[in-house]
Amino acid sequence: MAEAPATSETTGVPAKHEAAGFPPFKTETFPSQLFWLAITFGFLFTVLWRAAGPKINAAITNRRSTINGAIAEAGKAKADAEAAQAGYEAALAGARARGNALAEQTRQTLNAEIAKAKADADTRAAQAMAAAEARIAGTRESAKAHVKTAARDAAIAIVERLTGDKVSAEDATAALGN
Amino acid sequence: MNLNPMEQFAIKPIFGLDKPLLHIGGHPIFFTNQALLMVIVAVASTLFLTFAVKPNRLVPTRGQSMAEMSYEFVANMIHTATGEDGLKFFPVVFTLFIFVLCSNFFGMIPGSFTVTSQIAVTLALACFVIGMVIVTGFVKHGIGFLKLFVPHAPWYLLILLIPIEVISFLTRPISLSVRLFANMLAGHTMLAVFGGFVVALGSAGGILSVLSIAPMLLIVAIMLLELLVAFLQAYVFAILTCIYLNEALHLHDHH
Repeated sequence: MAEAPATSETTGVPAKHEAAGFPPFKTETFPSQLFWLAITFGFLFTVLWRAAGPKINAAITNRRSTINGAIAEAGKAKADAEAAQAGYEAALAGARARGNALAEQTRQTLNAEIAKAKADADTRAAQAMAAAEARIAGTRESAKAHVKTAARDAAIAIVERLTGDKVSAEDATAALGN
Repeated sequence: MNLNPMEQFAIKPIFGLDKPLLHIGGHPIFFTNQALLMVIVAVASTLFLTFAVKPNRLVPTRGQSMAEMSYEFVANMIHTATGEDGLKFFPVVFTLFIFVLCSNFFGMIPGSFTVTSQIAVTLALACFVIGMVIVTGFVKHGIGFLKLFVPHAPWYLLILLIPIEVISFLTRPISLSVRLFANMLAGHTMLAVFGGFVVALGSAGGILSVLSIAPMLLIVAIMLLELLVAFLQAYVFAILTCIYLNEALHLHDHH
């Protein structure tokens, strides 16, 4: 058919013919160009649409979800740690409060005991003092009595020595007065 | 040897396959240098985006990280430009971006072929995009999609504005394709021209041979610029696709 001459014209590569004319505007090359463009572009489109696009999308989505999951996990771990710390601090505060209360109670008990012991001691001391004062007063009275007796005896003796009279004890006492 | 800067854009059958592989509608189909690069682009993208990725890999490898980065880059681009309901076009936009990006980058390898430096390829891609936009618009809004050409304005301005809107819509496939095509073509032509200078000066002998270092340094600088352009044009192509899709999905809601 008419193909044979067309073939030799496009492929016969006559150098002078090639040099003449602007290669991109040589319409006899267009069918080949469009044919291979359709095939390669169609092939690439199919690959990118069916294989590459979903694959890359899956890779990006996977990574994003993994990272987000890890971040969520880390956040949860942090919240857990904070909760644990709060619990620890609460326990610590409770223990401290109990310790303080116990110490306070002990102190009050001891204070009460001390006060009681002090009061007892005061009472006993007061009693002892009163007894001692009573004894002192008794002793003073007896001492006074002894002094009077001694004075009367001395007076009787003096009078007897001076006068030879025997003076009765009552008279001597009366004479001495108080 | 061959200093014609346009030579690099010539499409030739390779591997000695001088006979057409098949005929479609009477047109012969050859396996050409461009076809080889398109196959390389498709296979390399597949390897890079499919086999370098393992879904359960928590810490990505370098390759997987780049694959994920490009995925999220395109997903964010669609989301910003068209909103949530544009994401169902993700496979298409992703394919367009990756195909154009890889074509541009593989074209930067010296001695290879730049698939996107051919107007047939870029125009086909642009028509595909615009076709998708038109189909989406009519499926979503029915005949109401034509409101896209009717801006909010008084009726006497509409007489002027509607033809402008229609023309601007119709020129989109051309601007979309020519932008990519011209950028690639211009960059690679410039590299070839400066490469020709290096050869010409170097073979001139004497002091001129020493001077050939100047265009050599320029080539390095242009190469870096072209790497940026290679990415930028792929990005522009994809973002314009998103913007056109956004109009088809939401008409003038965002204006």
